[in-house]
Amino acid sequence: MTSLLAVLIDGSIYASWLFLVAAGLTVIYGVMRILNMAHGSFYAIGAYSAASLVGWYFNNGMGPAWVSYLLLVGAALVAGLIVGVIVERGLLRLMYGRDEILMVIITYALLLILEDGMKIVWGVSPYFAYQPYSELGRTSLGLLKVSNYDVALVGVSALLGLGLWAWLERTNQGKVLRAVIHDREIAVAMGVNVKLMFTITFVLGTTLGALAGALTAPAISVVPGIGIEVIVLAFAVVVIGGLGSIGGAAVGALLVGLSRAAAVHYAPEFELFVIYGVMSLVLAFRPEGLFGRTLARKI
Amino acid sequence: MEMLKHPVSGCITIIVATFALFAANTAQAERFELGASAQNADAVIGCLYPMTGRSATYGRDSISGIKIALQDLEAEAKSGLDVPNLRVIADDPRSKASYAVRLAQDFITNDNAKFFCGIVSSGVAHAVSDLAKNEKIIMVGTDHASSRLSIEAGHDYYFRVTNDSWTSMAAGARYLRDLQKETGWKRLAFVGPDYDYGHVSWTDLQLALDELGVEYETVGDLWPKLYEPDYSIYINALQSAKADVVVTALWGGDFIAFIKQAASTRFFETTRLANFDTGANYDVMMALGDQPYPGLILSARHHNNWPDTGRNKRFVKQFHDMTGRYPTYAAEGAYTGIIAIARAIEKAGGVDDDRALIAALEGLQLALPEDPPGFASYIDPETHQIVQAQAVGTVVHNEDFPPSKLMVGNWAIYDAEDLKPSKEMVKRRRDAVAGGSEAVPPPTP
Repeated sequence: MTSLLAVLIDGSIYASWLFLVAAGLTVIYGVMRILNMAHGSFYAIGAYSAASLVGWYFNNGMGPAWVSYLLLVGAALVAGLIVGVIVERGLLRLMYGRDEILMVIITYALLLILEDGMKIVWGVSPYFAYQPYSELGRTSLGLLKVSNYDVALVGVSALLGLGLWAWLERTNQGKVLRAVIHDREIAVAMGVNVKLMFTITFVLGTTLGALAGALTAPAISVVPGIGIEVIVLAFAVVVIGGLGSIGGAAVGALLVGLSRAAAVHYAPEFELFVIYGVMSLVLAFRPEGLFGRTLARKI
Repeated sequence: MEMLKHPVSGCITIIVATFALFAANTAQAERFELGASAQNADAVIGCLYPMTGRSATYGRDSISGIKIALQDLEAEAKSGLDVPNLRVIADDPRSKASYAVRLAQDFITNDNAKFFCGIVSSGVAHAVSDLAKNEKIIMVGTDHASSRLSIEAGHDYYFRVTNDSWTSMAAGARYLRDLQKETGWKRLAFVGPDYDYGHVSWTDLQLALDELGVEYETVGDLWPKLYEPDYSIYINALQSAKADVVVTALWGGDFIAFIKQAASTRFFETTRLANFDTGANYDVMMALGDQPYPGLILSARHHNNWPDTGRNKRFVKQFHDMTGRYPTYAAEGAYTGIIAIARAIEKAGGVDDDRALIAALEGLQLALPEDPPGFASYIDPETHQIVQAQAVGTVVHNEDFPPSKLMVGNWAIYDAEDLKPSKEMVKRRRDAVAGGSEAVPPPTP
């Protein structure tokens, strides 16, 4: 029974992290039809920025611990905003209208460049920023002790999902965005500034990626390559849920999170297998993903 | 033309591209050429060490270890002894087996190498060991530690000169046996990287505990991937399993990350964490800061503060004078590798007869920095694995090796002869491979 509870708790925590990472990826694909391979790098940049800033804050004995949570979020927002604007204005804008495959190759190249760029800026040694994680303490759930930071991460993830949904479904800007998703040409004809919407969407996506990295940084060691690992998992999640679907990403994250936690507790040898096993199973029966829509394609 | 329509975007693109080109240039790996020139060398040794990436510290320290060995040999030559003139070339295999094999082939073809040395990853070492066997080039392993290389996959041309996973786990099993008498621990779990070294370490530990007759219950074995950044789920699983002792084969940054993440939970309040092969490495000691987490049981293939002998102190000082910092165990491994090759050449009277070199290495005695007083390491003719004593201990405050504020102390010392794999066990494991099994299955406790 304890083990089952542990699986549910660990699975939910892992799922919330996966959703944080996958949300930005699926938003960008949903609006811009760009399968953004560089999303993992935005996650890593967020993690490195937050770990550096929080590390500097605590190493210099700057003040109360709660400030470090603001620094985490602040680092993510600044990093996501700057990198998002540079990449969208400096690279992707030159490529709009090209084949989706070309965009995959371009963003993959960007991923490799940013990976090496991060090594130059931050080196190859791990960065640790555990203070925000340990400062929140732990809570007893039956026989299990759960980190309050992890519980908070689940809450943040749920709020973020609801916020994204509300923004898309309940605001004028969201309606305009959905109009762009539905038919870009008609949206332009109706006077929608599609380029601006693309910039907003891409910066939102990169900021979500950076935020995921920043919020994860206190719980992990920030090392070269974390961006590449994350992008593979995030793809698995969005493919399971259906590309471009926020709800699908949430369900995909839960499926992957719970399956992995069950594997770690009950069959550790199958830990890696189950993630991609679940993906293969879903795609075998629903190639468009659980919440994906089959679209007609002009040929 | 597209850029002319978007001048701002175009400028940003050019800046980013320039930055990328700069990045590509500075990230290039470096080839080291040490010792004698190609014309004057009696023998060329091709070494493979990581110079970039997460294991670069081990590569850098290995290069310094090689330089110290060459200095020592030069001093011997100046004093009139007949020592070979060695040329050492080191390159970065980038943790890729295929690339390492290509570099090793180039060492033979372009540099006329007669020996291979080094290699951090056991997986990469397997591939280069196969090449060494086919090309009849002697390979002296200095860092990778999977005992499979010297037992199941051992061959005439493969030698290893620092403690392997069997030696470390045999020492660890003895420590756990003694600890059980004190504390009565019963529940054991293992967490190791999901590749050859991790799995072989777990098998070695179980075999060693079984040989000693230690009674215990395995409550979990977990296999995070190499370079896993997030161990929280594994730490939770270990806590749920209520392990009394967790043995780990995580190494380097992975082990540091595991400790740091475990320390932010109540892991160390209830569980002892033991790392018998790499845990006491100097980079781990530095990363611990001033926190001697209770329940940490550590050892490594070389310690800066054990044994307290003139030879060890001299080696550590030489390294510190050369680099301005203290060595990880990789330095002593590389030092040993070069000294072993030099002694073998002396003994064989040259490098032309590979069978004479193999015979010279088999049983070769070497007085090394990590040898306790009254003992000299030697290479086991049966397995080609060096036979050495091992010290296991707990973390204590010690600021003699700054910036580290902690070192391992409270030593339990295990004799080299006790840590050798028995002839029966070696035969059993080799027979299992010959019979088609990949390895001897671990005993079921």
